[in-house]
Amino acid sequence: MNLKLPLTPQTNGLKMNNGQDLATGSHQAAQRQVRVQLTSQHEELALPDNTGPILVPTGLRRYALSTLVNNLLGNDKPIPFEFLINGAFLRTSIDEYLTANGISSETTLEIEYVRALIPPLHIASFEHDDWVSAVDVLSASSLASADSSSRSQHQERILSGSYDGLLRVWNMSSQVIAMSPSPTDGGHTSSIKAAKFVSPNSIVSAGLDRTVRLWKYSESRDGFSGKIAPQLELYGHKSGINSLAIHAPSNRILSSSADHSVGFWSTKKSDAPAAPETLLPSAGSRMSKRRKLNTPVSVSQRGPLALLSSHTAPVSAAIFDANDSTVGYSASWDHSLRTWDLVTANLVDTRITSHSLLSLEHLPDHHLLATGTSARHITLIDPRASATTISAMTLRGHTNAVVTLARDPNSTYGLVSGSHDGTCRIWDLRATKTDKGAAVGDSVYSISRRSLEEDSKTNSKRVGGEGVKVFSVCWDREVGLLSAGEDKRIQVNRGDVLSSS
Amino acid sequence: MPALKASKKRKAVTRDVEEEAEPFSGDELGAGDLGGDLSDNAHELSSDEDDSDSEIELIDDFSDSEDENGEEELDSDEIPSDGNDSTVIEKGPGTTFPPGDSSKGNPSSSKEEEEQPNYRIEKDANGNDRYIYDEINPDDNSDYSDVDEDGNTIGNIPLSFYDQYPHIGYDINGKKILRPAKGEALDALLDTIEIPKGWTGLTDPSTGKPLELSQDELELLRKVQMNEIPEEGYNPYEPLLEWFTTEKEIMPLSAAPEPKRRFVPSKHEAKRVMKIVKAIREGRILPYKPPTEEDEEEKALIKYDLWADEGERPDHPMHIPAPKLPPPGYEESYHPPPEYLPDKKERKAWEEADPEDREQEFLPNDFGSLRKVPGYENFVKEKFERCLDLYLAPRVRRSKLNIDPESLLPKLPSPEELKPFPTACAAVFRGHKGRVRSIAVDPTGIWLATGGDDGTARVWELLTGRQLWSIKLSDDEPVNVVRWRPGKDALILAAAASDNVFLAVPPITDPETEQASLEVLDAGWGYAASKPAPRDAGEEKKSTSPQWIRPSGALTDSGVCAVIPLRYVAKSISWHRRGDYFVTVCSGSSTPASVAIAIHTVSKHLTQYPFRRRIKGGGPPQTAHFHPSKPILFIANQRTIRAYDLSRQLLVKIVQPGARWISSFDIHPTSSTAAGGDNLIVGSYDRRLLWHDLELSQRPYKTLRYHRKAIRAVKFHPGGRYPLFADASDDGSLQIFHGNVTGDMLSNATIVPLKVLKGHKITGELGVLDIDWHPREAWCVSAGADGTCRLWM
Repeated sequence: MNLKLPLTPQTNGLKMNNGQDLATGSHQAAQRQVRVQLTSQHEELALPDNTGPILVPTGLRRYALSTLVNNLLGNDKPIPFEFLINGAFLRTSIDEYLTANGISSETTLEIEYVRALIPPLHIASFEHDDWVSAVDVLSASSLASADSSSRSQHQERILSGSYDGLLRVWNMSSQVIAMSPSPTDGGHTSSIKAAKFVSPNSIVSAGLDRTVRLWKYSESRDGFSGKIAPQLELYGHKSGINSLAIHAPSNRILSSSADHSVGFWSTKKSDAPAAPETLLPSAGSRMSKRRKLNTPVSVSQRGPLALLSSHTAPVSAAIFDANDSTVGYSASWDHSLRTWDLVTANLVDTRITSHSLLSLEHLPDHHLLATGTSARHITLIDPRASATTISAMTLRGHTNAVVTLARDPNSTYGLVSGSHDGTCRIWDLRATKTDKGAAVGDSVYSISRRSLEEDSKTNSKRVGGEGVKVFSVCWDREVGLLSAGEDKRIQVNRGDVLSSS
Repeated sequence: MPALKASKKRKAVTRDVEEEAEPFSGDELGAGDLGGDLSDNAHELSSDEDDSDSEIELIDDFSDSEDENGEEELDSDEIPSDGNDSTVIEKGPGTTFPPGDSSKGNPSSSKEEEEQPNYRIEKDANGNDRYIYDEINPDDNSDYSDVDEDGNTIGNIPLSFYDQYPHIGYDINGKKILRPAKGEALDALLDTIEIPKGWTGLTDPSTGKPLELSQDELELLRKVQMNEIPEEGYNPYEPLLEWFTTEKEIMPLSAAPEPKRRFVPSKHEAKRVMKIVKAIREGRILPYKPPTEEDEEEKALIKYDLWADEGERPDHPMHIPAPKLPPPGYEESYHPPPEYLPDKKERKAWEEADPEDREQEFLPNDFGSLRKVPGYENFVKEKFERCLDLYLAPRVRRSKLNIDPESLLPKLPSPEELKPFPTACAAVFRGHKGRVRSIAVDPTGIWLATGGDDGTARVWELLTGRQLWSIKLSDDEPVNVVRWRPGKDALILAAAASDNVFLAVPPITDPETEQASLEVLDAGWGYAASKPAPRDAGEEKKSTSPQWIRPSGALTDSGVCAVIPLRYVAKSISWHRRGDYFVTVCSGSSTPASVAIAIHTVSKHLTQYPFRRRIKGGGPPQTAHFHPSKPILFIANQRTIRAYDLSRQLLVKIVQPGARWISSFDIHPTSSTAAGGDNLIVGSYDRRLLWHDLELSQRPYKTLRYHRKAIRAVKFHPGGRYPLFADASDDGSLQIFHGNVTGDMLSNATIVPLKVLKGHKITGELGVLDIDWHPREAWCVSAGADGTCRLWM
């Protein structure tokens, strides 16, 4: 069945929210119309089955199409949609798209519509005493709580690791529920660089003091106070640890260190081998001795299951494969991205790029690894052996090193990156264009630091991201987009659609 | 033309008249002559015979043939006057003897007619017979002519018939024409008589009187001689009377309309054409010769085409093609559009301008139509000048060097191809109060050490700009220089503040490395303690040699392990590649020369002063570096850089950069490793950055003057992974260069300026004080006088 779009006044039965937009759109190319088939992957958004191809003017843009779909669905509250033709977002009018791709307007266009990403608005800022280097979220949908569904929906917790060596657990009303002990009481002796929830009851953190520490996290009944108690100290790295990756079901941790090695750890005391003696603080120098003297708490010390060392420069990030916990990936300053078989601790594959790699994230649905570089862009690398090209796509837009990446929990195409230039950028792999034979992506949204907007109206652009560097991002379906940075805050941003769905 | 003809006719007539008039005019003169004639008559008979005979013979000869005539002329040499006679006859055949001539010619011609036709057969160019008819004498053949009244009427009989008579004939009136007097008697008389004007010495055969020319005839002769028109009063330039002109008369000669025949094709012509056509059709006229015979001939003949294989030949070496001129434009037109015509002002300006200064050689001119275009006034002048050119300026082919100057420049790659190199500021390190004097990235590339005017040395996390460790080395004196010990086995920082050099192990590393570092530093204590003798000996030798001491408690807690009291302010520290030695230079002018340069051995806690005297020329030493692979120490003073072989204790090389005051220098990390020689970069306070190839010359290979102010520091990228070097200047900028050194001895280093990095603020006339490179990456750090350090990547 052909559904004529109401263009003429007499057939204007469907009430358009933005009729004038449609009218102007149709005005320009009133003669040209194209048959489109609108589809959606989401069942709740799908049009009725009997909806056949629709004849629409080619002058329409995203907004008009979105209005049209909302009308067809009969939504009271319009949902913004994005439109995909052949896997790429429609950024121009249909007419321009047809012209650019040399498609005849006689053909029926298959257009898929998806919920548009709402510009993430600033929700809250959590103030810290020092630079915040790590942030993680515990919520119903977060990775850590995936196996333990015991927690109730409304107890989201935010974990932050700071350069002052302290871990903090926040609730959503920006109150500190729990704080890790000071160095004298068994806490980190130096800055924390990475912190993650392993499970709702345990936290792992690592930092410049070269140790990975497991903490037991417990909360009081009312949920307004908690305790972070040291559980396990993991020794093995000889230099600062840059990142941590958790695989909760198998109780495994991957750490990446500036000593050119990737550490593979177990969270269980029984699994882990003994700690190497030489690296224990007790074996250290005069200063460590003194520190050790006034450490009353004795915590179990363990060593790594394996130290994967073939990198020739500091390893900036190590992650598990999202589907296969026996596969790990690591990115390093030596420009290489390496694939590890974690069972045998063997190096499987090495991909050499042309820049220092500073961050890593796995996009399992596309078999891609996103890695942020010191050359201010994000490279998407296919780690499979069959892939011929090293770089599948390049996402450009940052003006400083890209040091952290996180997946979009709502979309398999989404990605958020944090950079030393003081911005987080949201990317969609479908919003690409081909430039000089290579696919180049453009960021969908750019989130700047709230502190920058508050502080200095005059000097909104900081050289080298001074004072506003983003060190860590985390994207949770419930809580939203969290970013931690040099401005001593965790910034929470959220688009409306994230909460409404 | 008819007028001309008429005048000619008239002229002929008048001439006749004149000739007729001649006897009258010459009457008075002729009276004497006649008298003479008469007197002569009697005794001229015999003598005259020969003459008359000869005359007749002559006339016959004429009619016969030219050849005979010529022979006759040759034969008749007896009387020269005879020739004169003949000329007279020749001269006036038409006038004086027309009847005789014709009568004489006719019989001969009739005879000839019987024997031969009136044409000759000749071969023309094609080999065909050609009939050439004799020219028809246009004279009328009639025997009637103007009868000369004085003429002899004897007719066509030989004069010899009258030889025995006193007369020679009869005139028209029947009177005897008496033979004029002749002979010796007369000669005597004639001698006495003046030769009258017009005397010719000839005898008029018709009258027998001596032929004398009248005044008019003389005048006529003169005119003929002078190529003048003989006719008196004839105007050769009479105004032309145009009967038919292009001008349309108001009253035309004929008002008759053009006859129709002017417009219709001629029937007669059509007839004739049809005749020819018919003849062609019938085959009577063959348009072409039948080719059959020729074809056969051609088959028989072997023809050679000499030019069959002729290719296009190159032009003559001296051939110079004429320059191609642009096609003429509107301005050259004889009838240009009005906008091209110069107005009065322009015309005046053009006329007043010197011909050489004129933009154009001509002025556009409107003539209306092509007919009205006059001759080119400069035609002759131009041709003349062209000839002068050809004559005075011969064409010489000059072998011009046809080289594109661009191609002579060395091919420099574009900066885009030379990536990576630092392009933007990635981090700012803030914390120092006052200037940051020195900066160094540790061998692992994770930490950054700085030293500044606030007396602190600090260690930072390179990527994030986080300060990790700080130590106050001096209360009021600045930390002049900080340098990490090379090698990844230990982490030791050497810092010079005030009079001391501090060796510290920052507590940022793991226990193993820390332990190793401490061991490296502590080994010397034991050496010094166990072997006091050499130190004593050294003390005896040079009492100034300092002892290493343990730092105070506070410093020890902070990580300082050893202090070397130098007693003078060290401005430069440079480690040996292996990390066991480092050289300090106290460049203050008050420092004694013997202690200005010190080499410190870490493993022995030993300080030595290798130079006892000041290096000649160039003031106090500025800085010193060890050669990356050879045991050579480079020492720079203000003017020169000297290379000393430490093992042989020799001066190896002196480099003279030509700078007035050297601030810093660096040795290329791959110097002398492969095949290439040592390469040095030198920065100077007089704004110059100099590249030295030591193999090439003592003088700089390249001088780069891009900074506006003094250059403070220069540094090669260590390790040779990236062929980069950078300099830091007081104008607040860093400049990044690509300097590729090849192993090939023949090829020079390529130096490409890549990037100017700006960001440091100029504080107190000082900009960037020190730079360093990341050991692996193309990242660069700089220390500024504004209290910040920056990471560029």
